[in-house]
Amino acid sequence: MAVTTKNLPQLYRFCFLMTGDASKAQSAFQDTVREAASRSAGDEPPPDRLWFFRDARGRCLAVGEQGLQAEPGMLEEAEISPMAPEQIASLAPAQLALWISAAPEPQRSALALFYLDEFSLAELLSLLEMKAGEFSELICSGRRQFQSWLDSTIAYYEGGAFDAGQI
Amino acid sequence: MKEERSMPDKSELLLGCAPITEKPGIDRAMRVAINRARHGKKAATFGHQQAFDAAIAKLVRDIPVDAEIAEWFAKENLVPVVRHGWKRIVRNPVVIAIAIALLVIGAVASYRVYEHFHDFPGADKARRLLTVGASNRSVLLDPLQTDAGALSDLFFLKHRLEHYDVPSEFAEFRTLGTRVFDDDEVRRVAQIWIKEKRMQFFLFPAEPDKDGKVTDFSDWRFVELEGWTGAVTQRNGVCFMAALHGGEKDLRPYLDKKKQ
Repeated sequence: MAVTTKNLPQLYRFCFLMTGDASKAQSAFQDTVREAASRSAGDEPPPDRLWFFRDARGRCLAVGEQGLQAEPGMLEEAEISPMAPEQIASLAPAQLALWISAAPEPQRSALALFYLDEFSLAELLSLLEMKAGEFSELICSGRRQFQSWLDSTIAYYEGGAFDAGQI
Repeated sequence: MKEERSMPDKSELLLGCAPITEKPGIDRAMRVAINRARHGKKAATFGHQQAFDAAIAKLVRDIPVDAEIAEWFAKENLVPVVRHGWKRIVRNPVVIAIAIALLVIGAVASYRVYEHFHDFPGADKARRLLTVGASNRSVLLDPLQTDAGALSDLFFLKHRLEHYDVPSEFAEFRTLGTRVFDDDEVRRVAQIWIKEKRMQFFLFPAEPDKDGKVTDFSDWRFVELEGWTGAVTQRNGVCFMAALHGGEKDLRPYLDKKKQ
C-alpha cells in the first residue's frame, strides 16, 4: 500500500498514542514526514508505509526517554468486562493516549500500533521485531491492565458510566 | 489480584491479537482460530475481547487532528508513491515458479499440437501398437523362421487377412516368430518379430480420414512413444509399421535402402 494522505492521519494518531501529548506528537509526526520528503528529494524514497511508523516510533521513544519511565508488571489486571465498551465510550481520546504512553516499552508501541487497526499481524510483528507469542502477551496483559484501570476510574452502573475523574 | 495463568496454546496466542476488523488477506491460522473461538466454549469471552478492542479502536479514530497537522495531509505529493517495479515482481520466487510451470506446460502442449498436426489417420493406432511392442515378450509369438515377405500368404490362408503384405524394404529379413491377435481399438493385428535389431513389424487395418475415406500413402511416416519409433506406410487399406527401440535415425537406413 502506498503512503498517501490517507495514511498520514494514522501516523499522527500513532505519535499521539505514543507520546500522550499533542505537541510532542506533532513534532515527531512532522519530523518523520520531513525526513521522508528529504529522502524522496534525494532519490531515496521510503521503501514502504511501515518505514513511516518505524521512524516515528523511534522519534516518539526518544521524546519519551526524557520523562519518567514506566516499569513493566507494575499494574493491576482484571478480566475483560462485558461493560467495557460503555466504559471506553465515556473516555476522551486524550485519556487513552495518556494511558498508552505511560505503558512500558515495547508494550506501549504494541498497543499503539495494534489499536490503530491499520496493520496485519505480519506487519505488526515486522514493525515491532518480535514473535507472535510475545506480541499477543503484550496485548492481552495490556487489555487486562486497561480494564483494571477502567474499573478504578470509570465505574459502570446499569444506568451508565460514572467518571471518577482520576486522570 | 493476579490470577495464575496456564501456558496458552498457539490458537489462544493468535486470538489474543485477533484483528479488530477483519481485512482481506488474513492469515489462515488466525482465521481458523477466530472461527473456533466464535463457535466454541470461549465465544462469550472472545466476544467481550472483540467489543473491547473495537471500542478502543473507535476511540483512536476519534483522536482529533488539528488544522496545522491537517495541512500536511493536503500536500499529497509530499511523499511519492513507491510502486513495485516490474523487476521486483519478476524476481519474486512465486512468479518465477509459475512462469517456469507455464513454460513447461506450454512447451508440452505445443509439442503435442505439433505432433498431432503432422499426424496421419491411424497414427493413434500405431502409437498404441508401439506400447504393445514395448511390453511384449518373444515367447508370446509362435516361433517361425522364414523371410518376412513370405508371411503374406500365411496371413491370408490361415487368418483370411487380405493385403497384409510386408513391404519390399523389409521383406528379406528373417523372422523369429509371429502372431495374429485382436485389439479392442486397432482390431486385427499381425505382429512379426525379426532378428535384425529385435525389430517388430505390425500390420493392421488403415483408419479412414475425417471424410470416411481410406487414403493410402506410399511414403514413410513416423510415430514415437516412450523411446520407441515406428515407420508407417499404408497400402491397399492396410498399414505396415516397422518398430524398434530407438529413434528415427535408426530406421532411416532401412527405408533408404530401396531408393538406392
